[in-house]
Amino acid sequence: MRLAQLYEWLPDALCGVLDRLPGPVREQMEEIRVRQDRPLEVVYGSESSFVTPEGAVTDDPSAAWRPDRGLCRSLLERITRHSLYAVEEELRSGFITVSGGHRIGLAGRAVLENGSVRRLRDIAGFNVRIARERIGCSAPVMPAIVDPSARTIRHTLIVSPPQQGKTTLLRDVARAVSAGDWRHPAARGWRGRKVGVVDERSEIAACENGVPTFDLGPRCDVLDACPKAEGLMMLIRSMSPEVIAVDEIGRPEDAAALREALHAGVRVVATAHASGIEDLLSRPVLRELVAEGLFRVCVFLSRTGGRVTHRIVTAEEVLCGRPGRQAVRSGAAPRDAPLVPAARPAAGAGARVPRAETDAARQIPARGGNHG
Amino acid sequence: MVAGTLIGFAQAARYAARPGQIRELIHALKRLETEISYGQTPLPEALARVGGVLAEPLRRIFLQAAARLKERRETTAEACWTEAVETVWPDTAMRAGEKEALLRLGASLGLSDRADQLKHVRLAMVHLEAEETAAREEQRKYEKMCRSLGVLGAALVVILMV
Repeated sequence: MRLAQLYEWLPDALCGVLDRLPGPVREQMEEIRVRQDRPLEVVYGSESSFVTPEGAVTDDPSAAWRPDRGLCRSLLERITRHSLYAVEEELRSGFITVSGGHRIGLAGRAVLENGSVRRLRDIAGFNVRIARERIGCSAPVMPAIVDPSARTIRHTLIVSPPQQGKTTLLRDVARAVSAGDWRHPAARGWRGRKVGVVDERSEIAACENGVPTFDLGPRCDVLDACPKAEGLMMLIRSMSPEVIAVDEIGRPEDAAALREALHAGVRVVATAHASGIEDLLSRPVLRELVAEGLFRVCVFLSRTGGRVTHRIVTAEEVLCGRPGRQAVRSGAAPRDAPLVPAARPAAGAGARVPRAETDAARQIPARGGNHG
Repeated sequence: MVAGTLIGFAQAARYAARPGQIRELIHALKRLETEISYGQTPLPEALARVGGVLAEPLRRIFLQAAARLKERRETTAEACWTEAVETVWPDTAMRAGEKEALLRLGASLGLSDRADQLKHVRLAMVHLEAEETAAREEQRKYEKMCRSLGVLGAALVVILMV
């Protein structure tokens, strides 16, 4: 369904090649990389391959189909709805989000004005990132971030490098909180909480005409395409949220707005780019936020061979430089594998980084998943 | 006699209609400019909105271009615009100069940022205004002449036949 929506934005010639891809590749596809006069590449289930004109995957770049200038221009015109002037802001940040929440990154020649990027021109590189909905992928994480005394969740920061499923997890945490799907023994009988989402890139909710197209539960309000710092304040003032979900924080103004949220008694779930604790602490804004104790829990995501590992670390442990007290490994990749029904943490013994594994760890199947 | 008179009047009507249509086109481009600069409306909707308030046959140029943009997958905005202009052009009273201004505008529609788009639209408007002045001049000179010529030419044919 979502993939069909994406195809509406792509030129026929490209859709034709993608349609001929083998079924498992098509279903696990995460990125389509179109580069003018260079081989077409697809990324699926942590692997990447070039694509031949017949739709077969290959590692040989010379056998691959090469999109020409006409196709790239047609693609650009389609994703901007023939109106570059209407997406100037997006061009400045280097990506466009189309309906269905799919994000298309752009590379070209930057046009500067007073030293800062005004827009891109001669766009010849596209990275189509396919948005996936994984209802339930937050299940292994929820028990660790629930705050039983306050009957809500702790301030949580989800951290990982790009492409590990941060946004997918954030979306499902928002859904779980708003639907009251707490997955915690003490939370039996709790209702859901009001959730506000500041969706700067239209990726979390993929709103169409203001209505989310992803399932965010029944108690969720979305500020679509709104700058984070401003959106946080707007939500707090106008929508009385109990939990706020926000993607990719890292700028100083984000930190100021998050502090306001904290003092307004709102719980925050946010994501940030970093590959580990050291990276996190080397980013001044994030370091400050963790040091001030704003985020009580950090969830580190890492993906190896189609599996996502959730490592849950408290703020104190992050600051002490200890890599983690409790870790939960889930066998399910938020993006491309079915969810694990429940996390059953078991004590790991002796190791410096004890780790609990769910017993339902599975490899990615060739077919299936709940995406459309 | 009647046929000759009608031909003369039809020709005169073309002379009379041309400046009016050019003026209307200029107004339409002004509206397009507003849609682009303030509304930031995507091109298909902007063209449909501008076309919606125009009279025939100009209305058809904008609406057809908008429809083509919404339907087609492979083509560019330029191709859609050119096709629409070419299809509707024979029904208008306008000449090659105006057509060239429109086609040149089509080549840049939607392909650049706001400031640049406005420049292109304004350039087309200046071009059309010059054509409008020339068209009014021609109308003044030739409108009456065409009518008279039609009647007189027809009379001449009748006299010769008699």
